[in-house]
Amino acid sequence: MTALHEVPAEGGGGDVKVPDADGRVPVVLLVNGAPHRVHVRTTEVLLDVLREDLKLVGARNGCGVGMCGACTILRDGRAVSSCLTLAVLCEGADLRTIEGLRGGGGEGGEGGEGGGLSRVQRAFLEHRAFQCSYCTSGFILALEALLAVDSHPTEAAVREAFSGHLCRCGSYSRIMAAARQAAGLPSRGGLARGAVTGGVTGCAPDEEPGR
Amino acid sequence: MSGTLDDSGAADSRAGDSRAAVPVAVGAAVGQSIDVLQARSRVDGTVEFALNAEVPGMTHARLLRSPYAHARIVSMDVSAAERLPGVVSVLTAADFDRPGAPHRYHGPVVRDQPVVCGRRVRFAGDPVAAVAAESEEIATAALDRIEVVYEELPRVTTVEEAMADGAPLVHDRPPEVRDHGYADVRLAGVGGNVCTKFQLRKGDVDAALAGSDVVVDRTYHTPAVQHVTMEPHVVLATYDRRACALSVLSSTQGPFAVRDALCEMFRLPSSSVRVVVPPLGGGYGAKTYAKFEPVAAALSWKAGRPVKLVLPRDEDFLSLTKHAATIRMRTGATFEGRLVARDVQIFFNGGAYADISPRLIKNGGYSCVGPYDIPHVRIDSYALYTNLPPAGAYRGYGVSQAAWAYEQQMDELADVLGIDPVELRRRNLLVKGEAYATGEIMDEAHWEALLDKAAAAVDWSPDSRRGTGPSGRLRGKGVAVILKSTVTPSTTHAAVRLDADGTMQVFSSAVEMGQGAHTVLAQLAADAAGIPVANVHVTAPDTQYTPYDQTTSSSRTTRAMGGAVTKAARVVRDRVRRLASELLEADPDDLVVSGGTVFVAGVPSRNLSVAEVCYRTRTGSISGDGDVVTSGGLDPETGQGVASDHWHEGAASAEVEIDPATGKVYVTNLYVAAYAGRVVNPKLARLQMHGSALFGMSHALYEELVFDNGVLTNPNLSEYSIVSMGDMPRHLEVELLEEPGEAGIHGLGETGLPPVIAALGNAVASATGARVRQLPMTPERVLQAMEARGATEERDALRGLEER
Ligand code: FES
Ligand code: FES
Repeated sequence: MTALHEVPAEGGGGDVKVPDADGRVPVVLLVNGAPHRVHVRTTEVLLDVLREDLKLVGARNGCGVGMCGACTILRDGRAVSSCLTLAVLCEGADLRTIEGLRGGGGEGGEGGEGGGLSRVQRAFLEHRAFQCSYCTSGFILALEALLAVDSHPTEAAVREAFSGHLCRCGSYSRIMAAARQAAGLPSRGGLARGAVTGGVTGCAPDEEPGR
Repeated sequence: MSGTLDDSGAADSRAGDSRAAVPVAVGAAVGQSIDVLQARSRVDGTVEFALNAEVPGMTHARLLRSPYAHARIVSMDVSAAERLPGVVSVLTAADFDRPGAPHRYHGPVVRDQPVVCGRRVRFAGDPVAAVAAESEEIATAALDRIEVVYEELPRVTTVEEAMADGAPLVHDRPPEVRDHGYADVRLAGVGGNVCTKFQLRKGDVDAALAGSDVVVDRTYHTPAVQHVTMEPHVVLATYDRRACALSVLSSTQGPFAVRDALCEMFRLPSSSVRVVVPPLGGGYGAKTYAKFEPVAAALSWKAGRPVKLVLPRDEDFLSLTKHAATIRMRTGATFEGRLVARDVQIFFNGGAYADISPRLIKNGGYSCVGPYDIPHVRIDSYALYTNLPPAGAYRGYGVSQAAWAYEQQMDELADVLGIDPVELRRRNLLVKGEAYATGEIMDEAHWEALLDKAAAAVDWSPDSRRGTGPSGRLRGKGVAVILKSTVTPSTTHAAVRLDADGTMQVFSSAVEMGQGAHTVLAQLAADAAGIPVANVHVTAPDTQYTPYDQTTSSSRTTRAMGGAVTKAARVVRDRVRRLASELLEADPDDLVVSGGTVFVAGVPSRNLSVAEVCYRTRTGSISGDGDVVTSGGLDPETGQGVASDHWHEGAASAEVEIDPATGKVYVTNLYVAAYAGRVVNPKLARLQMHGSALFGMSHALYEELVFDNGVLTNPNLSEYSIVSMGDMPRHLEVELLEEPGEAGIHGLGETGLPPVIAALGNAVASATGARVRQLPMTPERVLQAMEARGATEERDALRGLEER
């Protein structure tokens, strides 16, 4: 790991970078608060650099075309698709991945299962808001980005934040339930046992999504 | 912790009865929504998907694919690709001609799929070469340097084209079942482009149809769709030339199917092929049987280095599809609404290779009867070879196609008869003790309860079926009920090992793909052994160590693997009781093991911890095995016999609103119910139902693979829509029918999917008065159906005038 000030300026200074024989340019990426010096191809997307060079594997490729949200990271606080973000253009940006989320202290604390997790992560855990969880990092970061600018979002705003995210397993109801909890929105009822009918017991509905 | 563990006698005496579900202990963990194992890794990004796998010396693979649906390969030149710096190896069909080379063909039933094509490509996307390079980028660049000259051949892409006289043949030679195939799978009616046929015969259909008061005769269509697992296919294969051993890490649902395919391909004993499976980012049937393991393994064999293959999304779309199907169905009934006869021809578009079509079209075929008592039935179900990507297992497994047809037809029949659709179903539902069309007796039947609940969930009444909503939107309601089989016969083994400190390992080859299999198995194992669930660890499938399991599919894991694990854990518990018997001076039969403690029944103060028992008896570990082996099979001529070890029962209801100007369907209310028997983990079970409901909705309204001259035109999420959060029904409810006590566990992975599609179809037809018989029900199709209905009404009105 190289500190920012140790990075030598490239010839011509500032923004102009001359690719080496391999077609790579040196870039310093500030990821989860730490600077990382990497050599990237000018066409290389941030997702591949994060996964392959930095071994941060919480962002995942689901489509490569900006349609699924599985590769979401935070860039200067905003949720972006790292599959469409060129790594060379990220110098100087504050990049944050799911691995960089931390508990804000207070609730949950360091002990127990939720220790060290953010409020949003804990809500996803408590609501079991995932099946295969391939999409989960993306949903969590989308909500983190929203809550960072709007600590009391409306339900519509939460839905809007999730609009570029797909969950093929169909965990949307639980994801909304977790989001409501994390966003301090009223919940829509919980898991409860229904009445016995004709010797057969039913369960009451989960939290439902709504519009 | 009442009534926990004294059920062993009952369980074990029934062990030999293959059709009996293994009753499991009702204990501390079963029935609880305990947290999923390793849940934390799911929210902090650290879960180890195959995508993350790396080994030293690893190369990266890409596949070159045919741009043509059907063509002859005239020539291929890979020399420029081989010369590209960073390219390690280029694999073509020529590599398989050498002595000692692996077989070039594979397939779970018929070995008809080439690892890389030789002289002929059979679908647009068929691999013709594979490159291993130091980076994926180099491998991709190398693909451009491979020169292939093709000569296009006439193609068939639809079942109609495939069956036409003089149709071009996808395969010149008729398919043959491979040695040691699956017991329930045979080929019949082979010829032309017919890969196989299944038939069912019961009663005298022609006479019964002739004698029916009314007959409805319609044809229904469902398109090919893709699984779109968020994680694509990923394989990391390492062929060790010195040891003649192959090790594969794969995102597969069938570790042993993959192992067996690779053993056969490389002529290696099973001890020399190891398949390891990490958690999957979704399966839904896409990852059953060997898919890309053969090509990755062959490439590693040639390159002498480990090879990792990650399919790009557009190629994942070409890996496997749900079968497109055309279903002609005729149903005869009396004026009173009693079903008399059904005649079905169902044509499944199997694509270029057989994959598991021969089983799927059988299941899809006999499922066309639905959960109804129909005295006379004739079903002919076909798998056709075409020049499209291969079709295979898909959540719903042939039943969503069948149910789309038969549940539409029930409503159409109800309309003809002037009987309420719910009431028509009620008059014909199978009841307990009645025989299905295959002749097997239904040991359970809960459809009436399911139907009643589904109807109640949308406040069903005969006059509330259709209406008008705000701003002129058309409102409609629909219901559907279905039955679904599970793969039969099937074999599952499991093992457990209790260690001296009272913790337990469960060795299971069940794949964790988001359904929560490992959590549920831990719960079952904990209760059966009598230890806390926190003390149980479930291993990931590793064919070198974990016992054989047929597959993680067919909604079978909780019941079959759960049963095997339960038996294995009971073996351990009984051994603990015997060991403790001397120490506690009591007969083993009087000892209870619960929560990690052994105590004398009725005298809980006379107890020892399991760890203490092991320590004092100098026991290092205790192992136990268990299995669930089911039997059955159908007569190839008549389709009579046992189709399924037990049946999955589901129902759904839906309310929709349709904009009459655009034809767009808005789902306002969706309800899905399944018979669960006993639920091991309610939170996980309900998630499975949610998933099925949304898959169903997605298939009903959005999804369709569109081919142009056999070339897929929408191979990514930018052009292929799946249900998103914004499409969610305003109200979504799932319900599990449970029975108290020792009811058998019923899988829930798929039951909710088929009825949702059909219920939505019926709701759309209720709202518009016009039926869309072709999925998905896009705005265009809805409008078209409404216009056609308008035209018919006008014509009928005119005819009425003329006749007057
Ligand atoms: S992988 Fe980036 S949006 Fe799908
Ligand atoms: S949990 Fe599997 S894709 Fe969302």
